[in-house]
Amino acid sequence: MKVIATIRKEFLLLTRDPGGMAVIFLMPLALVIVMCLIQDNTFRGWQETRMEVLLVDEDHGALSASLERTFQNSPNIRLIRKSGSEPLTAEAAYRLVRSGTYGTAVIIPKGADAGLRDNTKRAVTRLLAHYGFVDEKYNEKALPPVELQILFDPAIKANYKQTLSSAVEKMLIRVQADGFMDEVQKHLSKATQKNKIDVDFSQMITVNAQDASGGDRQGIALNAVQHNVPAWSMFATFFILFPLAGNFIKEREEGSMLRLRLISGSQFPVIGGKFSFYLFVCLLQLAMMIGVGLFVMPLLGLDRLILGTNYIGVLLTGLSVAMAATGYGLLIAVYFKTPQQALSFGAISVVILAAVGGVWVPVFIMPEIMQSISPYSPLNWGLNAFNHLFLRNVSTAAVLPELCKLISFAFATLAASILIHKSRTVT
Amino acid sequence: MTDSPIITVSGLSKIYKGSQKPAVDQLSFVVHEKEIFGLLGPNGAGKSTTIMMLCGLLKIDSGSIQVFGLDVRQKSPEIRKLIGVAPQEIALFPALTAYENLFYFGRMYGLDGATIRRRANELLEAFGLIEKAGVQVIQFSGGMKRRLNLIAALLHHPRLLILDEPTSGVDVHSRKMILDYLLALKSNGVTVIYSSHLLEEAEKICSHFTIIDEGRLIQEGNLADLLARSGGSRNLEEVFLGLTGKEICH
Repeated sequence: MKVIATIRKEFLLLTRDPGGMAVIFLMPLALVIVMCLIQDNTFRGWQETRMEVLLVDEDHGALSASLERTFQNSPNIRLIRKSGSEPLTAEAAYRLVRSGTYGTAVIIPKGADAGLRDNTKRAVTRLLAHYGFVDEKYNEKALPPVELQILFDPAIKANYKQTLSSAVEKMLIRVQADGFMDEVQKHLSKATQKNKIDVDFSQMITVNAQDASGGDRQGIALNAVQHNVPAWSMFATFFILFPLAGNFIKEREEGSMLRLRLISGSQFPVIGGKFSFYLFVCLLQLAMMIGVGLFVMPLLGLDRLILGTNYIGVLLTGLSVAMAATGYGLLIAVYFKTPQQALSFGAISVVILAAVGGVWVPVFIMPEIMQSISPYSPLNWGLNAFNHLFLRNVSTAAVLPELCKLISFAFATLAASILIHKSRTVT
Repeated sequence: MTDSPIITVSGLSKIYKGSQKPAVDQLSFVVHEKEIFGLLGPNGAGKSTTIMMLCGLLKIDSGSIQVFGLDVRQKSPEIRKLIGVAPQEIALFPALTAYENLFYFGRMYGLDGATIRRRANELLEAFGLIEKAGVQVIQFSGGMKRRLNLIAALLHHPRLLILDEPTSGVDVHSRKMILDYLLALKSNGVTVIYSSHLLEEAEKICSHFTIIDEGRLIQEGNLADLLARSGGSRNLEEVFLGLTGKEICH
């Protein structure tokens, strides 16, 4: 009954504190939404981000047409061919990229197509002549290579540069292969008086890329919503220490805690009641933020949060995270003597635990040293469990190690809180 | 005839960490049943420290305290069940109503809902706060808060009531109500330890006085004894000034 009375008292105190309610419910919602919107592009990467590329075509040959076709077939690239009403020049493109107006420019120099054809013809003739298939003269001296130029804004991300360069090189290999085959067929056709045939190199070998997860999980990737909703929800949940520690220390300073100390009996109902109430609040926070991931994010043009099918696992993970967050908040509340100490230490420590745990950026892109520290953060345990459940749709048993760590952390902090509170009852 | 002693304090001392000077120094006194015992002294005399040790919330460095025959060092949980304490601070939740505060503290005393309701109504009525039962404490005047602070200490029918500056900063109306109630409690067999620096008020209600300064006992007895020993003082305030040489901070 004493625990229930404390829960009821905490409920009344919170519902009469609009500022506290805003900190608990509105701020986390705003945080999750803002972080998802901000990080959306970062998570989408080059494949999903639309990019404007300047194309300076000084050649107007088949090579230009092929490159243009490649870029046009990519939904993520928009080609810009003109500066105002004038066709782009190499100088203008250099100026525009250097100023940061555009990220990239591709320059096809005059004579590029002819140069590529000459190089291919020479290579094929030399090859066939070497084996005695043709008796044609060719230039012994190698021709200079055709040089396409790609200009990048120095501020552009390295993976964008790499991906765009790879796309151009891939296209050039295909053009070279087509040119090579065309030149070979020209010689063979002449020798055998037979017509050329179409040879499609693109269908000789294909790559079948798929996620190593269940059949119904294909295409579910770590996007801004999948990462940020659980990550920032947990971050906000750990910030429960603000109202929890704030109220606890206020009660101590105002004297109501003194009266509770003057009342005989165990201090467990006081601590246990607070723990139970704030645990429920944390669960409510998590449920609300998952609801935002499911229903609000799609309205903002973001991906919908995919929960997987193991709802029991999600519930247990939410409960474990809420327990760990409440336990930590309670320990901060009990240990520190002033709100300034508690809230400063609490806030900074949660930010550090979140950063280390992979809330800000996923652990796999952290430096090695941080990756080795990361497994010690409770937020990392929670995030791993959520990722396992959401992205890999695993069973509850698979996330049990993470849940055990979270629950152990919660009990350790709760026990420490009770001991510290009890030790301070008699000073 | 003197009633039996319910509190015996012997050679009590306390030095706070980091302090050279004792807050309480070899203090000894006895509180008898059914009396209003005035624990008086200027600010910083050691009254609150003594009360905290009586309640078992502060460790005793040396000496002993027996309350209802139980040693505070060993039996403070049992002792706390028998006593009610109204601390100097307003030990209430400001955002809760008077009734919600009493209901919560009643539950923490282990009382059932019906008992809390009956007792809360009875006490709120007695202290003129029944009309304000549903009002948040934050909206109360200083006097109303003091009255409610006292009510919260009385919920579980304590045999011993310890009051630390119970009328500090209250209006005349609230003061009269509190003092009248304390006299009524005395006649009902409740022992009261009344700690205050308001000597005129103490003079009206206390049957025994212990005056302490700098943690030490400097005089004790009933008013007649104190006046007789002081050599010409007309009231408690003059006795106090003669003994401590200090002004009272009102």
